[in-house]
Amino acid sequence: MLHTLIQAVGFGVAAGAVIALGAVGFSVQFGISNILNITYGALMTLAAYLGLFLVDAGLSAWVALPLVGIAVGVASVLFHRGLLAPLVRRGTRSFAIVIVTVAASIVLQYIIVAIVGPQAKTYGAQSGNTFHVLDVSLTTAQVTIILLTVALMLALHLLLTRTTLGRAMRATSSNRTLAQSCGIATDRISDLAWLISGTLCGAAGVALAITVVSFDFTLGAIFLIPMIAAAVLGGIGQPYGAMVGALVVGVASEVAGAFSDPVYKDVVAFLILIVMLLIRPRGLFGAAWSARRLMA
Amino acid sequence: MGAWEFYAVVLLVYLGTNLLSVWGLNLQFGVSGVANLAYIVMVAAGAYTYGVLTLGPDTGNGGFQHYVIGLSLPFPLAVVAAATVGAVVGVLVGLTGLKRLRQDYQAMAMLVVSIMAATVVSADTGLLNGNEGLSLIPNPFADLDPELGRWAYVGVVVVACAAGWIVLRRLTTGPMGRTLRAMRDDEYAAAAIGKDIVVLRLMVQAVGGAFAGLSGALLAAFIGGWSPSAWAYTETLALLTAVIVGGMGSDRGASVGTLVVTILILQGVQFLPQIPSHPGLTEDLGWIVLGSLVILFIFLRPQGLLPERRPSYAETADPGMAEVDAGRRDG
Amino acid sequence: MTAARAKPILEVEGLVKRYGGVHAVDGVSFSVERASITGIIGPNGAGKSTVLGVVSGFLPPTSGRIRFDGDDVTGEPMHRLARRGLVRTFQLARVFGGLTALENLAVAAPRQRGERTLGVLGGRWVWGTEEPGVVGRARRLLHTFGMAASENEYARNLSGGQRRAVEVMRALMTGARLLVLDEPMAGLSPALSRQLEEAFLRLVEEGLSLLLVEHELDTVERICGKVVVMAQGRVLSEGRMAELRLRQEVQDAYVIG
Repeated sequence: MLHTLIQAVGFGVAAGAVIALGAVGFSVQFGISNILNITYGALMTLAAYLGLFLVDAGLSAWVALPLVGIAVGVASVLFHRGLLAPLVRRGTRSFAIVIVTVAASIVLQYIIVAIVGPQAKTYGAQSGNTFHVLDVSLTTAQVTIILLTVALMLALHLLLTRTTLGRAMRATSSNRTLAQSCGIATDRISDLAWLISGTLCGAAGVALAITVVSFDFTLGAIFLIPMIAAAVLGGIGQPYGAMVGALVVGVASEVAGAFSDPVYKDVVAFLILIVMLLIRPRGLFGAAWSARRLMA
Repeated sequence: MGAWEFYAVVLLVYLGTNLLSVWGLNLQFGVSGVANLAYIVMVAAGAYTYGVLTLGPDTGNGGFQHYVIGLSLPFPLAVVAAATVGAVVGVLVGLTGLKRLRQDYQAMAMLVVSIMAATVVSADTGLLNGNEGLSLIPNPFADLDPELGRWAYVGVVVVACAAGWIVLRRLTTGPMGRTLRAMRDDEYAAAAIGKDIVVLRLMVQAVGGAFAGLSGALLAAFIGGWSPSAWAYTETLALLTAVIVGGMGSDRGASVGTLVVTILILQGVQFLPQIPSHPGLTEDLGWIVLGSLVILFIFLRPQGLLPERRPSYAETADPGMAEVDAGRRDG
Repeated sequence: MTAARAKPILEVEGLVKRYGGVHAVDGVSFSVERASITGIIGPNGAGKSTVLGVVSGFLPPTSGRIRFDGDDVTGEPMHRLARRGLVRTFQLARVFGGLTALENLAVAAPRQRGERTLGVLGGRWVWGTEEPGVVGRARRLLHTFGMAASENEYARNLSGGQRRAVEVMRALMTGARLLVLDEPMAGLSPALSRQLEEAFLRLVEEGLSLLLVEHELDTVERICGKVVVMAQGRVLSEGRMAELRLRQEVQDAYVIG
């Protein structure tokens, strides 16, 4: 029993790593542009298929990951600049923008399936050994992803706290008009933020595809729930909160799945999300000012 | 029954049931401003209710399905029950929106509810027969001559639509229509002049839910089956497309939108040639077109094809207004 | 008769509103007399808007008591207070953009048969007879405020001054006895400001009471009978504007802010 629990926690950490890549990017986009970008999930799906294309062409999945990440990063910037930012500028209501992101999500998914078909695809078995850490056995892929996520989170942390760009991003995130009056080029900062978060999105998509046995065009849609749950739990707009939230959601889901029907993994994430929305929408680490941002 | 006649029947039934659900969604979203991306769950609730009430116990028919209840109730009773369940589910979903959260946040929550509901129902094989769904749902006219039975069903749908339209207009016109639109435009200002927003929202959730449940029941009885593939979260977007393309807040607009979406897109793509290597391509194209239409209209023409009409109070004259009217006409 | 008239229409006692660790309002007490205009002034962050928010039911108080026309209404929500006769306007005029100016007013008419269950089910047969009266009242108000020509304009197309007028007219349609106004003159030209001031004075003559937060001290001096000065969540001073201007602590509060 204890072994099952420890193993589940281990898997939870691995799952949490992938969720973190997604949740942090999603949170950053909300923080910078005040938009709940549901298309994020479909972009992850796109990343998974772009990675598949490269893997089938002979590239290692690990090489494909950063390449696809950057490609999706660029796509995200274009998406924001071309569609979302103009809508915000003309005063479109937030609900309509969410509908646009849902619609874009559906269009993207069905373009993908129209081109590659609905059959499940796979990256193939990943070579490597299993690692045994503290009674937990993880595959090379899982360990690599955990390490990769930790490295990326560290890089993001350093970016946000040690660089001018990072400070500008944090300023724009907390109060855009104030940042503008301080001379910060908020539009360009937004572009960079979307590039970075989009890259995380792409990385998450490829990482997800590596860890699952097989996937189809619904990959992103399914993953959306644990990802949003993690972002909301941590406090939407707060990248650090999203990291913690991802860990909690990952571990809770795996533990629940280990001791009951595996389908309940997603239900746990869903319950976390709904409970947070009903009781404390600003999340565990959201500040009071961010709570007011969430009220109508 | 010739192929064209059969096709006409199918089209009319789909058109009628779609009209009912789009009217309900437009009432909630277009007129009252209530964010509900989980609308299809209410349609499903109605369909499943109809199914489990009209089917016999699940041990019958060879026992290949597993579901709850099973009372072999007659059509009218089951339909009323389905609408009621739709209303109840609507209210329950509406309760989550009382926290005064931002509209887009609520919308996201509803989307998640929709995805999760489908996941849970798919997984639980004992509740509503899981991913396979319910089949052999009895049709009320099963004993009639098939051709007569089908047209009789079209008649039932027409009656349901007529009744639905009357109820709808009661809510979207007159003082209540004004109040709901005021709530849509500015909830707090509406409360500041004495409107009980909570009661109004729950009422709209209930009525919209009833329309959804009715629509679901009529569909389930016609098709004879209902499964999770019929109510993926994407279906709400199809209904929303009709509302947005047709004209948000306008009943006539929503009706036109339904015509466009149902006939031109969902049926029109059937006429495109099938490509053997990509069997589901036409359906995929349909979704791509729907999604693109939503984005296009929100971007370029958010008021839709038939925008809400400016109400005319020209005929409403108050006897004591003679001098004021004279003043108005002159200045 | 004299005793009833002497009783204030609004009494605020020991109002406290806490946000997290901050006391936005820290023990505020004042009253608004019938058929009068009371103003609340003070530097930014003094808690004036918060007081208005709590008094109008927009925010729940942390503690304290609010009495409207003698009844304890502490903690009642906005719509309940509005039905009692306490109606507020907002700093940024909130009109129903998708409704015409006429409809903005018509929707505010209280106790309409068409909003009750029977009225909705019965349709025009039930509420049809009420409509001319409602529309007529709305038209008269529009005429009084000089907006008769704009009755069919969508409210979202109205100018700032017109929106403010619509907000005030809408409150009047409800039969309000106390108007609570958050910076009513904000964004209005001096000419429009004066027009609104005159309208307010006329309404007070007819028995209406007003409580307003205002930054335009000239307006306050012209129309307010009583002025309450707030600073840092507390009432600093109370009296007529002319005397308050001379008091040292009031001058200091504005300088320090």
